[in-house]
Amino acid sequence: MKIVVAIKQVPERDAQFRIDAQAKWIEEADLQFTLNESDAYALEEALQLKEQHGDEVIVVSAGPERIGTTLREALAKGADRAIHIECGDLGARDALGVARLLAAAIQPENPDLILTGLQSEDLGLGQTGVILAELLALPHASLILHVEKTETGLKVKRELEEGWFQTVELPTPAVLTIQSGGNKLRYATLMGIKRAKTKEVRRVTAAELAVDAAPVVVLERVALPQKQKSTQILPGTAKEAAEVLVEKLKVEVRVL
Amino acid sequence: MIALLPTLAEPQHFSLVEKLLFTGLALASACAFWRRFGKILNKILKSKKDASFPLFPLAWRIRDFVWEVLFQAKVIRERPLPGLAHAFVFWAFCAFALVTLNHCAVGLGIGFLSPAGRFGRFYFYCAAVFALTCVAGIVGLFIRRFFLRPKWLGAKLSYQSGVIAFLIFALMATYLASFFVADADPSARVLWWLHTLTLLVFLPLIPHTKHLHLVLSPATVFLSRGSFSQIPPLVGDEDFGLVAGTDLTRLVSLQVYSCVECGRCTEHCPAANTSKLLNPKEIILGLRGYLNDLGLASEEPLLGKYNAQEAVFQCTTCGACEFQCPVGIEHLPILVGLRRGAVNTGVWEDSHGSKLFLALERGSNALGISPAERDKFIEKQQLPLFDGTQEYCLWLGCMGGYDPKGREIVADFARVMNYLGASYGVLRKEKCSGDPVRRLGNDLLFQQLAEANLEILAQNKVKKIVSICPHCVRTIQEDWKEYGAPPEVEHHSEFLARYAGKLPQKGSGLESIVFHDPCYLGRYRNVFDEPRKVVALAGELVEAPRNRERSFCCGAGGGMAFLSEETGNRISHVRAAELSATGAATIATACPFCNTMFRDALSATGEGAPQLLDIAQLAARGLPKGSSS
Repeated sequence: MKIVVAIKQVPERDAQFRIDAQAKWIEEADLQFTLNESDAYALEEALQLKEQHGDEVIVVSAGPERIGTTLREALAKGADRAIHIECGDLGARDALGVARLLAAAIQPENPDLILTGLQSEDLGLGQTGVILAELLALPHASLILHVEKTETGLKVKRELEEGWFQTVELPTPAVLTIQSGGNKLRYATLMGIKRAKTKEVRRVTAAELAVDAAPVVVLERVALPQKQKSTQILPGTAKEAAEVLVEKLKVEVRVL
Repeated sequence: MIALLPTLAEPQHFSLVEKLLFTGLALASACAFWRRFGKILNKILKSKKDASFPLFPLAWRIRDFVWEVLFQAKVIRERPLPGLAHAFVFWAFCAFALVTLNHCAVGLGIGFLSPAGRFGRFYFYCAAVFALTCVAGIVGLFIRRFFLRPKWLGAKLSYQSGVIAFLIFALMATYLASFFVADADPSARVLWWLHTLTLLVFLPLIPHTKHLHLVLSPATVFLSRGSFSQIPPLVGDEDFGLVAGTDLTRLVSLQVYSCVECGRCTEHCPAANTSKLLNPKEIILGLRGYLNDLGLASEEPLLGKYNAQEAVFQCTTCGACEFQCPVGIEHLPILVGLRRGAVNTGVWEDSHGSKLFLALERGSNALGISPAERDKFIEKQQLPLFDGTQEYCLWLGCMGGYDPKGREIVADFARVMNYLGASYGVLRKEKCSGDPVRRLGNDLLFQQLAEANLEILAQNKVKKIVSICPHCVRTIQEDWKEYGAPPEVEHHSEFLARYAGKLPQKGSGLESIVFHDPCYLGRYRNVFDEPRKVVALAGELVEAPRNRERSFCCGAGGGMAFLSEETGNRISHVRAAELSATGAATIATACPFCNTMFRDALSATGEGAPQLLDIAQLAARGLPKGSSS
């Protein structure tokens, strides 16, 4: 199964963010960048499918020079080759614009499956993967936790609200957007990094892909959220309170 | 004939048949020795060359050799009675070198030491004294092994050892008996032949048994890496640590063949003492089995049939094994090397381990907490920021920056520094020193963390670091060297001890305080007296049964604080119980990891547990009220 994983490099979640002078985006100068979390899960899903069914995993990402480190990291974790869409104005493109870039780069590969994260940690639009499917005229499913290859295509597990799940079958090729937490992520290894040195990273410019860059959605202004604290006192006996606390830590704070 | 001062009998006039017989037997014995020993030596020499192993300077090598081999100081110090017994046997062997040479020469009619001559007579008497002490020693060791049977020697009795003990006894007995017969007496000839046959049987047994240490261990001690737990650098693109036979280096092979199976490593191992799978002696013997069966060219993983991955990842890297080993085996580079092999190739899968690695791949600290929390702590405590003008950079570390108890220690240490008028500041940004990933064998992450930190320190022009965490101190000073030149670094116990004279002294005898030696401060850094000096300011120092170099680990080291300890008893509980049993009112530690381990262990024991404080907190407690920042 030939799988393409579309990934994005985003600022490290821990960073101290500052809004830039035009209030259009964040100051990128002092930031450190990393692989978007749900994309990491998409990559993990692809690697596991490859381990079961063979063939290859190709990672593709659009962005400036700095995304090279993230592509290398993906190669180190086990992807076979990478496509770097050189694009310095990613921030000026909307989800449609980015999806057009990805679609143009992916199309010639003719993959059996395209995976991407559910949404990016920086913009959180959750649209790129879905638009990508439309552009490529492929069936798609979102919020996927688990993918299984069947005789005819795929059987996937979707996450719904309130702890409900849905199982859907769809033919290949298809596009899936992957939800975080479905798998255990693998850690990067020294061997992986050394092996990644010899793997191919094909560079292609946005101009070469000849897609329309004019955005239909324009980012007006970004602002830091207002801080607010809230304290909750959990009533009941220690045992009852502990049960509620565990539930809250699981569902609301999601640390367990 | 028994004279007042008996003379050693030397049979004369060996017939040609006897000479030929002796020569033939001696050659056969030497061949039997070499057939096995040559193979082993070949394996050692054909092993991979060690990276970064400077033989020179020789001075400290000679010093260690004299002290540990010739004086048997370590063997005696760590197990006095059996140690002394062993030393008697060893010293007798040394004294007998010349005697044996002469003994063989006599058989060929070319003896060079005359029992009647002044030197010969003197030398033979000396050797006789050594022979007597040797007999006492070997009988003692025999009784210990076969009747007292300490469990460290293994459940199975080693009959080899019994045979060897008998041969040594026979060698000494035949020598001593020769003083009580005349040269011409036929019994002199019988004794000579008995002594000779014993020798010729003994020789080939050496490389076939653990008595190989007789030949190898002096070299092993001489060729030590030089410092405690020295982890060698990885060389080239195909070196991931100890993965398969091809990765075994000369030092590793030499050490593996030197093991005398005494079990001191296991006796002191916190994992082995709490019913875990890990047994450091078996790790070494497992590697020996691998070398014997599969050899150096094998691609079969070292972790598998011969050693269990589970065992290797139970090690707290406390280093008690390496410190104890009398034959110079360096367990930590081997254990960490095996971990490197498994982690650097992605073979090791552990949900807690992956979580730690991913936290450090994406974030800055081992606890996986946002650095904004560290900023808040610095702000709340009004810790001065390092701006390049202060003398010290106060390194917080993950525990000092994020752990609630670690923060209390930092806050109190800062109070003491303020009281002393020390000039210091903390860094705006700091990454994990890389200690847990270094010990777990993740070289990729370790390199990234070390390089990032070295850059931060260089940007801030840091010259001197002081830290409350012995793990940070060790890792910064020793392990970062592979990637750059770290600034000078010291542990807060060293800082506090230097200013002990300026700190208020509480009346002594008020409060009994037991001090727990952290592994990374004691065995790793040789700092034992400084923290005790600080404790003595606050109360009456009490010693735990296992203290200083023999201190028992808290269970946190080697990345174990971040993994789960599911097999056997908890190491922290065992140690906390031992510390509590001293009856001291307070347990003092000097490491935030020990602190967090004991905090959990003591809360499990419930009421009446002693209070738990870092030495910085003890020092801060004595400060006059209102002397806070």
